Amino acid sequence: MTTRSDTARPDAARSDAPPGPGPATPRATLRAASRATSAAAVPAPPPAVPAVTAPDEAAVLARVRDTAEEVFAALADVRAATAGRARAVRRGGRALVSADLAALRPLLFGRLGTIIAGIGFIAAPGLLADAPWYLEWWQESPAGPPVQLLRDLDPSSSAFYDYTHWDWYTGPESGAERTVCGPYVDYLCTDEYSLTLSVPVTLDGVFLGVAAADVFVRRFQAAVLPALREVPVPAFLVNAQGRVVASNTARWVAGSVYRGAEGFAVRPVPGLPLALVEGTGR
Amino acid sequence: MRRASDRLGVAVSVARLAVFSPVDNTARVDVVVRRLGDAIALGLLADGEQLPSEAELAGRLGVSTVTVREALMALRQRGLVETRRGRGGGSFARAPLEPDVSERLADLAVDELRDIGDHYAAIAGAAARLAAQRSLPSDVTPLWRSLDEMAAAESSAQLRRLDGRFHIEVAAASQSARLTREEIRLQADIGPLLWLSHEDLGGHDETAAQHRAIAEAIGAGDADLARDLAERHVLDATDHLIELRLRLRE
Repeated sequence: MTTRSDTARPDAARSDAPPGPGPATPRATLRAASRATSAAAVPAPPPAVPAVTAPDEAAVLARVRDTAEEVFAALADVRAATAGRARAVRRGGRALVSADLAALRPLLFGRLGTIIAGIGFIAAPGLLADAPWYLEWWQESPAGPPVQLLRDLDPSSSAFYDYTHWDWYTGPESGAERTVCGPYVDYLCTDEYSLTLSVPVTLDGVFLGVAAADVFVRRFQAAVLPALREVPVPAFLVNAQGRVVASNTARWVAGSVYRGAEGFAVRPVPGLPLALVEGTGR
Repeated sequence: MRRASDRLGVAVSVARLAVFSPVDNTARVDVVVRRLGDAIALGLLADGEQLPSEAELAGRLGVSTVTVREALMALRQRGLVETRRGRGGGSFARAPLEPDVSERLADLAVDELRDIGDHYAAIAGAAARLAAQRSLPSDVTPLWRSLDEMAAAESSAQLRRLDGRFHIEVAAASQSARLTREEIRLQADIGPLLWLSHEDLGGHDETAAQHRAIAEAIGAGDADLARDLAERHVLDATDHLIELRLRLRE
């Protein structure tokens, strides 16, 4: 449910911020970092912090990158398969319908159960001839085979039907190649604290919808914590807005907000709208 | 007018088609129950309308007849389907009765109402406090969108759904999945009763003003104020419910 970095507004007056002496320097640093790692921006991180990277930091950055790449690789497959299906159907001379998307299922099922808890294609409204709104969205199920999310997408009966407001949708729709949303409480699907990673699906330059995957925050943490734990100072990952995703300290636990603080430096994660924040007192 | 009603007609018939589109194999009885139950509750299947036979439903929904039979049984238990035997028999949609809120109220003792209110106020207050501490501007945007939609809502049912969404969004802004789940559970439990009370208590303007104040406090990062306002919002409504309950004859 997070938006792009233009909303980043570190504000020391907020009570979640630590009672530090003054936010002057870190505020500027965070702003630079979030601009560079914006979901919508082409990643071109400026040197927000010295280029020298300690081996333990490099290990964290590598672990974060590998974890995210695994998800984005799955999304690239979903994107290719969806666009391919749409192309084939249109070549056949008819309009795409929701049943056509069932062809994605073997692919989607195969990507569940790793770090990915839910994955699918979210159609742009009006894309399908038979359903104004549609999600080909599957979630892992502890009890057995994957289950399809069957949300009530009828605007007359649901207060929640409009998925086009969500940042995992608006990011790709507005051209962001890679969007990372959250952490947020995903009350639409799983009621879990989650990240949603998404990419646009296009055909001949026309936006068809979004390929997206849900990653529970606890699994993401499990993947990066071994590396984070090796950093000898307080260190945590934040999203573009400063929300903590994973941390090696209870002081900055996932879900809290880093609004800039004295004695911390921000290091963007290359190519991702995330940054590593760590204490400078090594 | 005419055009609008034509469009509505098309929307309803499209929606009716969706009611009978195939359900995936992995779907279970509850998917069929939900599909048919929602359609009946929404009036897509009209009151008294005969449903297709079990075999036909099974074919159209893409499930086994056993699944259909179990689903129909569940719907019968909920009073959404009536099955008549013999000539002219079959399964028929039954529009749900408007829940009689005062009957529900009569089932609850005053101390139960107070306890429910205390519980809900604790959840809503804690969620609002954490939301004020932790929310980013992007968490506050949906709150205002919901309030704007509520201001433009045309029916009480729509207003009530949006009211529910607003409070779930506040809970989600706390970043606590447990508080959010609890908010959803409490809404399902006593939402209609509290809504009755809000409507009674000076109507939508007062409720809207309270919602705006909560959203403003969260947006301003004022944790104590957000908690107080959210608790007050619940407790005012509970107090009023208790007044109503005390006036009910046993």
